[in-house]
Amino acid sequence: MRKFILTLLALTFSMSIFAHGPTPQKVQESITVSVTPAKAWSTVKDFSSFKKIMKIRSFDDEIMKIKYEMLKKDGPFSDYNAYIIVKKGANDNESVIQWTARFYRIYKLNPPIPEGQDDATAKAAVKKIVESGLANLKKSLASK
Amino acid sequence: MNSYNTKITLIILLSFFLSLIYFYDDFFEIHPKAYITNQGDNTVSVVDLNALEVIKTIKVGIAPLGITILKEKNLSFIGNVGTDDISVINTRTDQIIKTIKLNTAPLSLTSSPDETKVYVTDWFKNNILIISVKEMKVIDSFKVGKTPSGVIFNEKYNYLIVTNRDSNSVEIYNKNNNLIKKLETGKHPFGVYTKGKYAYTANVYDDTVTVIDLENWSSKVIKVGAHPYNMLTHNNLGIVTNTIDDSLSIIDLKINKEIKTINTGETPENLDIHQKLNMLVVTNWGSDSISVYDLKNLTLIKEIKTGAQSRSFGDFILQ
Repeated sequence: MRKFILTLLALTFSMSIFAHGPTPQKVQESITVSVTPAKAWSTVKDFSSFKKIMKIRSFDDEIMKIKYEMLKKDGPFSDYNAYIIVKKGANDNESVIQWTARFYRIYKLNPPIPEGQDDATAKAAVKKIVESGLANLKKSLASK
Repeated sequence: MNSYNTKITLIILLSFFLSLIYFYDDFFEIHPKAYITNQGDNTVSVVDLNALEVIKTIKVGIAPLGITILKEKNLSFIGNVGTDDISVINTRTDQIIKTIKLNTAPLSLTSSPDETKVYVTDWFKNNILIISVKEMKVIDSFKVGKTPSGVIFNEKYNYLIVTNRDSNSVEIYNKNNNLIKKLETGKHPFGVYTKGKYAYTANVYDDTVTVIDLENWSSKVIKVGAHPYNMLTHNNLGIVTNTIDDSLSIIDLKINKEIKTINTGETPENLDIHQKLNMLVVTNWGSDSISVYDLKNLTLIKEIKTGAQSRSFGDFILQ
């Protein structure tokens, strides 16, 4: 029991430290797919689920990079901006798709921070979006 | 004999002092250096601007962001917004000599021109904290507007200038900490810069810069790239970091218009100049690096990998 309370105390303490700070958070994930970079790029470009909730900020065909801003405001995060870039893989028929997001937690005022509005919650939600987005991309590339 | 000895001693002493002057930089290790705060791995990268490489990585508090350098005192103050404290680095040895506890998030820092005080914006409680450099502790504070983000000292008028992100304004205080003017800016002013009779704010949400005339309080708005974060001026140019465009906006200050853009790394946040080397350094939060440019023609000299999420909000170059 004592150990449990100590752990709880330590957890609460460390959480209050990490919950501070008006700092932008970052999530970066990537996958490797067995198609040419050109093919991966064309799939990324017409990734349909994007268009309803995103505002595309720029396309760069040369460096195969798309930048967008999320318009949907119902997630536990704010000011979400991200980019997806397609890079060459280990050989000609392999590509790496990298997805990077920058965002803030929803609650920007003084601590105490309400439950579910802290950095950790925001980060977990964005990680989920990025990971499932990459998984969907992989799936649609495999079916082509 | 005695006078001969004196002569020899004098000659030896003289040559010693001459060599001291000649090798001064080597003796005292005065290298031009940039101090880069890395939010993601709780470190400061020390970059030698002659060699263009990281020469040391210093562990600081959690989520370091703001910085100011006290050149004459050989000190660098680093604000850690995760641990609510300030790490003070001796820039000769590049070691932490003191940690100042604050109990609030220090967002940005600047020093008084005589380097006796460091001003810190207290993001959570809407204060400016004043640290005595001699005593290394907070000796005074005063209330300012909502979410004070940037802070800078104007030497011409002895003004302390503060941007208030959530009230879309800039406040100007005199040396007795009295508010003498509050002006509207664009939406979400973050970084602030001043030189001579002008102050500049980078307004994140409406992609503009506000130029304020500190003599007659008139202001102008200039359109720049997406989500500008900070800026500075050099001769007749304004240089602005555009975090979402991964670029710098170059403004002609005679006509107050953007005349071109220059590519940076990903999510460029802050920037500073080394005067003697005529060098511009930009921190790239997204690509964990800095971009070093030749100021003469604004060409990239080198991109240098630093730590995770490089920021350096404030003046970060040791001249």
